[in-house]
Parts: sequence; C-alpha cells; structure tokens
Amino acid sequence: MSTDPATGGSTSVADRLDDAWVTIVWNDPVNLMSYVTHVFQSYFGWTRAKAERKMREVHEQGRSVVSTGGREHMEVDVQAMHGYGLWATMQRSGE
Amino acid sequence: MKAFRARRGVAVAELDPEERAVVARIVADVGLLLGGEVFGMEDATWASETPEDLLEYLTNLEAHLAEPDDPAILRLLPNAAPTDREVADEFRRYTEPDLRELKVARLRRLWSQLSEDGPRWEVVADEAMETAAALTDVRLVLASRLGIETDADAERLHADVGVAQQAAVGGIVPDRERIWLGMLYEALTWLQDSLVAFVMGEEDDDE
Repeated sequence: MSTDPATGGSTSVADRLDDAWVTIVWNDPVNLMSYVTHVFQSYFGWTRAKAERKMREVHEQGRSVVSTGGREHMEVDVQAMHGYGLWATMQRSGE
Repeated sequence: MKAFRARRGVAVAELDPEERAVVARIVADVGLLLGGEVFGMEDATWASETPEDLLEYLTNLEAHLAEPDDPAILRLLPNAAPTDREVADEFRRYTEPDLRELKVARLRRLWSQLSEDGPRWEVVADEAMETAAALTDVRLVLASRLGIETDADAERLHADVGVAQQAAVGGIVPDRERIWLGMLYEALTWLQDSLVAFVMGEEDDDE
C-alpha cells in the first residue's frame, strides 16, 4: 500500500496546543510485520497483543497513531521510529 | 545460506564466504551512503587526521543537513512532518546527526560480525534487535534502488525473482541487475525475519 502523508488536511492556528500532537506510523512495503510488532512492544512498552493490533492497523489501514502529546515528546518518538527504520511522521492532532 | 536459529541463547546463521562478502559489501555501502567512513579503515583514518580533515567533516555535516536528494537516504531519514515545513526542518536539524551516527555505528557492528572468520554468523541476544534494525536500513536502501514503493511492487519482485531462478537453469535471465539485487533483498528479508523470530522466542522463554 502506497500512502502519501503529504495529502493531509489544512493547518489550523487554533490547534497549536502543546498537547495536541500525534505520531503516526505509515505502512511501507519493506518493514516486516514481526519486526514492527517487536519495535512497538519494546519502545512503547505495549503487550504483544496491543503491539500486534497496532501493527495490523498500520498494515491494513495504511497508518496508525502510535502516540499523542506535546511536540517535543512527539519529536522523541518520531526520532526513535526513524532509528528503527519505520516511516513515522508527526502533526498537530486533528489535521 | 542458513537462517538464524537459537543455539544456547545466541542467534546463529550460516553464510558461505561469497554470501558473507556480498552482504558485508552492501552493509559497508549503506554506511558510506549515510556519510560514515570506509569500514575497516578506521585506524588509518584517525592516524592521518589533520585539521583540514576535521574541517571537511564539518562541511560534510552541513551538506547533510539539507533534505537529502537521494530517495534511498530519504527513506533512511524520512521527512518527519510533510504537512509543516518548519517542523520538518527543525526536526532534521536536531535529530539527523544523531540518527546518522546511530545507523552508521550499527552498520559498522554488523559489518564486523560478518568480517569474522568462519561460516557462522553469531548474534548475541542483546544485539539482536540492533542487528535487525541495521538489516532494515540495508533493505530500505535496496528497496529504494529496486523501486519498491508499495506492497504490490514487493510481490511483483518476489514473483520475478522466482521466475528468473527457474529460467536461470535454462541460461538467459532478463534484467540481471534487478534480479540479482532482488535476490539479495529477499535473502536479507529472510535472514531478518529469522532473527526477529529468535528475539521473540527469547522473550517467550523469559515469560
């Protein structure tokens, strides 16, 4: 599945709240399902069942919101995902 | 080639010398792509370092901070905020040097594992995930070179490699470079999959 994150919605200035950011992991054809599951488990501390559910969401729906919080927090999460080779982006929630 | 299997808590795969040399080479190439030094030359590099060299490092660093043109590098260091240029640029400025360093260091360790003598490729449990992550980076670069952008592209490559392996018995293989890179990509996928299965098996044992 090819998913273009650049087609997101409009930016609203009113959404500039510190806790209104999300980290999104996008589907890509390279990362293995087992690997993504394990990255989710070890980085976010999720159970195997939750990690698998979120991995399936990425795989089947093309994307999944994996964390929410302030912008700096999201930068840390996105950096970690990029470290693992996952395709992650951040944006204001509701965009 | 034999996939990773658990042996007394260590993941062990087997590669013949040619397979080992090919994998080590692509690992080193991805390290170079990320701005790392030539693997195996670290000592020589440090011995000959002059202030001019250090300045050049800084130049390289600055050159690397603009959004990469190479789609393979953009896959290793993606745009973190496609809807917000300012956020994306700031993210790149703050995180890219660390991400490059992390990835190059991991590739260098992988290269060292492959440069040891003997057919066995051993990965201790504590290093298994970082080895799997380094394999991901190598596969991302190969996938970019092979034009794999969708799941359908990956399936088409898999089918083409299968057909070519059948045809190879008869002699003529069309588009040899794509098939050869595709076989390498699929071999690394298979190795990574077995390594992740090892990691998950270790965890199940712990529970």
